[in-house]
Formats: sequence, structure tokens, C-alpha cells
Amino acid sequence: MSAGFFSVKVFSGILLVASMFAHISAHAEAENEAELWTVLQKAAVAARALSYEGVFVCQTTQKTRAVQIRHLFNGQSEFSRNVVLDGSPREMLSQGGELVIYNARNKDIVIEKRRGQNMFPAVLPVNLDVVKDSYTLQAGNQERIADRQAQTLLLLAKDSLRYSYKFWVDKEFGLLLKSAMFNQQNEILESIAFNQLSLFNTVDLDWFKPNIDRKKNYVMEDESVVSAETRFPVSWDAKILPAGYQKTDQMMRAVAGKPYPVAHVVFSDGMASVSLFVEVLSKRVALKNSQVKVTLIKNGNTSFYANEKNGYLVTAVGEVPEATVVQFANAVVVNNADAAAVRLP
Amino acid sequence: MSEQVSALIDNEVAPEDAEHLLGMLSANKQALEDWSHFHLIGDAMRGDNLLHHDFKKNLMQKIELEPTILAPGASKPATANSGKKEATGFKGRLPVTWSIAASFAAVMMVGWMALQQHTQSGNAPVIAELAELESSDQTIPAEYLIAHQASAPSTSSYYMQSVNYSE
Repeated sequence: MSAGFFSVKVFSGILLVASMFAHISAHAEAENEAELWTVLQKAAVAARALSYEGVFVCQTTQKTRAVQIRHLFNGQSEFSRNVVLDGSPREMLSQGGELVIYNARNKDIVIEKRRGQNMFPAVLPVNLDVVKDSYTLQAGNQERIADRQAQTLLLLAKDSLRYSYKFWVDKEFGLLLKSAMFNQQNEILESIAFNQLSLFNTVDLDWFKPNIDRKKNYVMEDESVVSAETRFPVSWDAKILPAGYQKTDQMMRAVAGKPYPVAHVVFSDGMASVSLFVEVLSKRVALKNSQVKVTLIKNGNTSFYANEKNGYLVTAVGEVPEATVVQFANAVVVNNADAAAVRLP
Repeated sequence: MSEQVSALIDNEVAPEDAEHLLGMLSANKQALEDWSHFHLIGDAMRGDNLLHHDFKKNLMQKIELEPTILAPGASKPATANSGKKEATGFKGRLPVTWSIAASFAAVMMVGWMALQQHTQSGNAPVIAELAELESSDQTIPAEYLIAHQASAPSTSSYYMQSVNYSE
């Protein structure tokens, strides 16, 4: 009787201690992850608030490019100049989020305007809340990059609808030194890393101008956004929409070779983006191909999927796994009443 | 000097100071280069349609043709920072500044006309729809990739052309 009582007591004691340990370790883990998110947050800010210059190498499964960067924060605004050192001449000047690309195209230099919100090393958004929904963060080893000590962090996808990342963060300045994107098989799909890096203190802007080649014609890229539609002619089913992705932009866009503007919606999970295009199929094509073939293509980290839906061509493109673009395209619902609006040029 | 030129282009400079800067520009080759570089950046940022590549050459020719010499204002550094005191002198030279502006407008107009001709001639729309898509040799169609990257550029897409234009 007493022996039985004793054993129950010991057993419950062990249980209690075990559960306490589990609780403590879970708590420590959560606290540890919160600290890691702070490191990542600092890296996002450091890339924008420090003045630095150097050379980094950007590598995808198809190409490798060395880029010279100079970035200045003068206390109010950010200025940066990126010069691509390999291949055809390409130069980027940005002030705040406004980016101008000087892109050599045959005998012309085409001037393109972009929003430069995720250029290296500012690849992370300053607000990481959206990222936390779809990724977990783990600490890795310390490594040396561009002659600097770095702490490594693993930003791991919670599901198979996105890729994972490894980040090397400068231990002293908090700046991102290297970033790598990898898939579930741990294959590197894209990597960008500093070879040389130094900080500077001056605020002069003598360097903030493009190299002008007097033998070339400078032309602006054709404006491709027709209108930023508020009443959008396409709907989608949020239940099927891939988890963690939010709509960030929508517009009617001119696409090369298309007679009518194409509806374009952009989704993002904070790291990766997917574009969804919906356009009218001309009657000629629709008649010729009574059964339109489904197309699924993957090039490096970019997936492409096109399918016909109710007389419309629905296309999804993004730096995501194939399953994600398929899910996006399948989530689109084209209502006939709304669809009439798409036909308007 | 570069900062002053930048401010001039952004219309942040008082007319008196602008007059002084224009004087400097005609005398200083480097300043004139800055002027054209900043215009190239500024115009691109604002989305203006075209930058003519020989903008600077044309502007220089126009300035050289100006009969009035602006250099005396620039050659007196003591009065350089007190443009407002030279209000009377400024009044007398005002039409010169105008004619420079007018010649700049003329250059832009010629450039704009050249662009119109260019886009009209090279704008035969090719209807590429599913028929082409199916026969694609497993390369993502460039038109969609370019449209995607224009609105949602991935980090590597800033540094690499998605299409090889020289082909």
C-alpha cells in the first residue's frame, strides 16, 4: 500500500519535473527566436541606415554577375548607385524607393523606372510581421564572409509553398553580408554575397550620377501600366489562395504582343512574390484550340503556369515552387458578368 | 557646385541665385556636365518621356550663341553669395535666362518628336497567345517575366536582364 503510494508519488514527481523542463525549454526557444528576429530586423535597418561601399556577386542557376555598390544615408534620405561589372552594361541609381536603371539594349540605353524595395543588401522588409507568418527562424554557425565575422540565420519555410533562406549577418555592424535561397532538397537557387565591404563617413554626392556614353541613344522604357484599377474585373477564391500570401498590388498592364491590357495582380508573403495575369483569349485562338494545353515551366527559382478558364487565359509567375503558381492560377474565378469588363480595351 | 546644380533643377533656388548659377555654368565645363547629368537623373525619376543624348551638346551650342556674357557675375566670388543685392543687374539680364530656357525647350521638343516617330514605326503588334505558349521550349515567356519583374522585382532581377536584347 505504502509502496504503491510512494511509486505514484515518485511518478507524478517525475512527470512534474519533466513538464517543467519542457515548459522551460519551450519558453527559452521562443525567447531565443524572438532574439533572432531582432537580429534580422537590425539587418533590414542597417542596410538602409548605414553608408557603405563594396563589391558583391549575385549568382542564380543561370547567370553570375559582380556588382559594385555605394550606398549613402545622410540622415534623411538614401542614395545608392549599383554598377553591374559583368556582361552588358547596366547601372542603377536609387533615391529612397525610387530606382532608375540604365540598361544597355543594342545601340540604346533604355532608362527603366522601378520601385527598388528589396535590392541587396536590403533584401529584407523593415516590417517582418508578414514574414513571421510563413517562416521560422533558427540560429546557425558563425562564418567569415568578405573578411568579416558573420552570424548565420536560417529563415525556414513553414510549408512547401515557398523557398527557404540562409542569411549571414555582420556581427559588428548588423549588415547583411550574404543571402542564399534554397529549396526543400537544400539546393541553392540564388546567392548574393559581398566580396569586399567597407563603411564610409562622407556625405558628398559627387558619385551619384550615371556614366554617360555619348555614342548611345538614351530612351525611356515604354510606360506599361495602363491604369491602377480600383474596381477590378477578376475575383479569386480566398479559400484556395496559397497560405501566407497577401495581395500587394493590382493594375491593368500592357504586355508585349497582347492587343488588350492584361489584368495583373501581385501577391507576396514578405519574401517571395507571385504575379497573376488574366486576359481575354481572342475568338480565333479560342476556336482553334478547343482544348487549350496547360503549360507549366520552371527556370531556376522561377515557376510559370498558364491555363484557360472560361474563355480567359490565366497565368501565374513567381520566384516560388511550381505548386504555388498552380494554386494561384486555379484560385482565379472569372464571373461572366465581371468578365465583360475585361474586354474593354 | 553639384548640389547647387541639383537644387536649381529642382526649382529650389531663388531666381537671383539661379541667374548666378547659370553664369557659372557657362564658364565651368564640369558644372555644365553636372547640369546635364542631373537632368538625366531628374527626368528619369519624374518619368519624363525622353532624354536626348546630345542634350548637352545642343545646350552648349545654344549658350555659345547667346550674345550676352554672363561670366562677369561668376568671376566675382565676393558678390557670388549675395545675389539678392544685384537685383538691378539681374533685371537687365533676365531675357538671357529666358532664351536659354527656350532653347532647352526646343531641344526637348525635337527629342519628343523623334521618340514619337520611333514608337510609331516599331509598334506593329504581334499577337502571341497560347499557340506560341505551347510550342515554347521550356523557357518562361519573356513578356510575362518582364511584366512580373516590373511590378515585383526579385533581388537578382535588378542585376540581370531577363532577356538578351542583343540576340
